Amino acid sequence: MGDILGLVAKRLGLGLVILLIISVIIFFMVELLPGDIAQAVLGQGATPENLAALRREMGLDQPAIVRYLTWLKGAVMLDFGNSIVTGASVSQTIGTRFANTLFLAAYAAAIAVPVSIILGVLVALARNSIFDRVANVVTLTSISSPEFFLGYILILYLAVKTGMFPAIASLREGMDFGELLYRTFLPALTLVLVVTAHMMRMTRATIINLLASPYIEMARLKGTPPWKVIVKHALPNAWAPIINVVALNLAYLITGVVLVEVVFVYPGIGQALVDAVSKRDFPVVQAACLIFAATFILLNLAADVGAILTNPRLRHPK
Amino acid sequence: MSVFVILYYTLLLGASCLAAWFNKRSAFLLIFSLTLVSFVLGIVGGVAALRFVAISAGLLALAAMVAYAFREFLIAIASHNMAKELRTAPLTAAFGMFVIFTYAIAGIFAPWIAPFGEAQVISSAFAPADETMLLGADQLGRDMFSRMIYGARNTVALALAGTVLAFVLGAMAGLLAATTGGIFDQFLGRMSDVIMSIPSLIFALLMLSIFGGELANDTTSFWLLSGFAVLVGLLFVTAVAEGNVLSWVIGLAIMAGAAIAFAGGFLVIFNPSEIILILVVAVIYSPRVFRLTRAVAGNVVVMDYIEAAKLRGERRWYLIRREILPNSAAPLVAEFGLEFCFVFLLIAGLSFLGLGIQPPTADWGSMVRENATLISFGELTPLIPAAAIALLTVAVNFVVDWMLYRSSGLKV
Repeated sequence: MGDILGLVAKRLGLGLVILLIISVIIFFMVELLPGDIAQAVLGQGATPENLAALRREMGLDQPAIVRYLTWLKGAVMLDFGNSIVTGASVSQTIGTRFANTLFLAAYAAAIAVPVSIILGVLVALARNSIFDRVANVVTLTSISSPEFFLGYILILYLAVKTGMFPAIASLREGMDFGELLYRTFLPALTLVLVVTAHMMRMTRATIINLLASPYIEMARLKGTPPWKVIVKHALPNAWAPIINVVALNLAYLITGVVLVEVVFVYPGIGQALVDAVSKRDFPVVQAACLIFAATFILLNLAADVGAILTNPRLRHPK
Repeated sequence: MSVFVILYYTLLLGASCLAAWFNKRSAFLLIFSLTLVSFVLGIVGGVAALRFVAISAGLLALAAMVAYAFREFLIAIASHNMAKELRTAPLTAAFGMFVIFTYAIAGIFAPWIAPFGEAQVISSAFAPADETMLLGADQLGRDMFSRMIYGARNTVALALAGTVLAFVLGAMAGLLAATTGGIFDQFLGRMSDVIMSIPSLIFALLMLSIFGGELANDTTSFWLLSGFAVLVGLLFVTAVAEGNVLSWVIGLAIMAGAAIAFAGGFLVIFNPSEIILILVVAVIYSPRVFRLTRAVAGNVVVMDYIEAAKLRGERRWYLIRREILPNSAAPLVAEFGLEFCFVFLLIAGLSFLGLGIQPPTADWGSMVRENATLISFGELTPLIPAAAIALLTVAVNFVVDWMLYRSSGLKV
C-alpha cells in the first residue's frame, strides 16, 4: 500500500504545482495591461486624484509580487477581494453560483455516465454492424454541434412548441428538490447529449481495444460463454480506462457548462464569468478562472489516481 | 388511420421483407427495427412523429444521393491516382467534401452570391421571409440570407487563420523539440502541459477580458502579431542556422522583415479585435498541435534512415524538411482538420457569448444570439446559423475520419 500512497501523493503534488503556475499566469496576465487596473476601470478621462485614491484602495501602490502573494493567500482562504463593478465580495457572489453550477454538472453526470457506459459497451459488442455505424454518425453529429445549437433545439421543441419543460432555468429560494430537477432538466439534458456522445465513443474505443487482446481470444477459444468473457475477463481490465473516460468527460462538462448556462439563463458561475469578462471586472474573472482551472485539474488528477488504483501495472513505472 | 400512415407502414414492411428476401442482413435489421420503433413512436407521438421520421429519412436519402453524385463527379474530374483513392471514400466522407466545397464557394464568392450587403438594412425588424428575402430579416431588418453567406466568409476565414497560426507554431516547435531533445524539449513539453491544463474556453475568456476593450486597437494588435511572428521566426532560425553565427544574423534580419510584413498583411485583412481573437486561439491550440507533432516526429526520429541521414552529415533543417515531414504528413493533415473543428466551435461559442467577432460583421455565432428571442415565438430562424456551424463541423469530421482510417494505423 505504501507505494500507492506515495504515487498518489506525487500526483497530488504535481497538480498543486501546476495550479500554482496557473495562478501566476492568471494574476500576471492582468498585470500586462498598460497602466494598471485602476486606469482600465476609470478610463482615459480619470483625474489623477481619483486614480491615486483607487490605487491605494486596491493596494496597487505595492509591488506586484507582494500583491500576488496577498491575492494567493486570500484565494487559499476563499477570499478573492471585491468586485470592481459592484463592490460586493467576490466569494459571496460566486459561492452560491458555483454551487448551482456543480449541481447542474452533477445532474448531467448522473444521467450521462450510466447511459453512455452501457451504450458504449453495447455498441462495442455490436461493432461494424449497422447499429454501430448509425451510432457513430449520430454521436459524431452531437459532438460537432455547438452546445447552443442543441440547447435551442431543445427549447424550441420541448419548451416552446409542447410546453413540457420551462425554457428558462430560473431558481428560487425554497424550491423543493423535485421542482429543482424539473426546472433544470433542459440545461442538464443539453449537457447530457454532448457528454454522452463523447463518453460513448471513448468507451467503445477502449472496449474494442480490450476485446482484441490475446487473453480474451484465449478465453473464447477455451469455450467460456460470451457473457462470462465480458464480466470475468474484460470488465476487470476495463475499469481503469472507463474511470479515465468518465473523469476526462466530467472535466469537459466544466467548459460546456458556460455556454449552456448562458443559453438557459441559469444562475451559475459560467454566466458570472461571461458577464465579468464583458464588464472587465478583473477580480471576478480571476476568481472564476482559478476555480474552473482548479476543478479541471482536480478531475484530471482523479482520472490519474483512479487509473493507478485500478491498474496494478501503473504502480510499477518502468 | 390516414392514407399517410398506411402508406408509411406498407413501405417499411415491404422494404424489410424485400431486404430479408435478398439476404441483405444489415439493411433488413435497420429497416425492421425502424418499423418497430415507429410502432412505439406512432402510439406516443401520433401522425406528426411518423411524419417527422419520414421527412428525416427522406433528407438522409437526399444527402446520400448528393454524396454519391459528388463522389462520382470528383472521380470523373480527378487524375488517375486521386480517383483510385477517392473510390475508397465512404458516402459520409463524400458528403463532408461536398459540404466543405459548398461553403468554400459561398465564402469566396460571397459579394456576388448575396443579394444584399452584410450590414445593409432593407426592411423592418424580424420581417418574415418573402421572394426577395429567402430567410426573412434579422433583429435590425437586415437580410438573413445575405448575412448567412457573408458569415461563411467571416467565420470560416477567422477559424482558418487561427488554425493555421496554431499549426505553424505548434508543428514547428514540435519538430524542433523532436530533433533537438534535451532541455529545450523538456521545457516546451512542460509549458504545453500547463497551458493545456486550463480549459480552452476559460483561457480564451481570460485573455479576451484583458485584450478586449480599449486594447483592441491597431498598435496593440500590430505588436502582438509581430511578437507572434518573431516567436515562430526564432523557431525557424534555430532550426535552419544551427550555431552558425553568420546564418543567425542573416536569419534574424530576414525574420524581422517577414514579421513586420506578416503583421501588416494581417492588419489589412482583419480588424484589430479579430486579430486578437485569432492570436488567442492560436496560443490556446498550439500546445495540442505541439504534443501530436512531437509524438509523431519522435517516432520518426528513431528510424534507421534518420540515423543514416545524420551519418552522411545532413543538417537539421534537411532532416525536418525531407525526412520527418513527409513521413508524418498524414496524421498532421488529419490533426489539422480536427483542430479546425475545435477552433471553429470555440470562435462560434465566443461570438455567441458576444465576446468574439464584433457587430456589424456578419458571423454565425453572434447571429444566433442576436435572433435568440425569436425562439420563444416558435421560429426556426436562430437555428439556421447554428445548424450551419454544426453542418460544417460534422462535414470536416467525416472527412477526417476517413483520412485517419485510410492513412494510419489508427483504427477508429
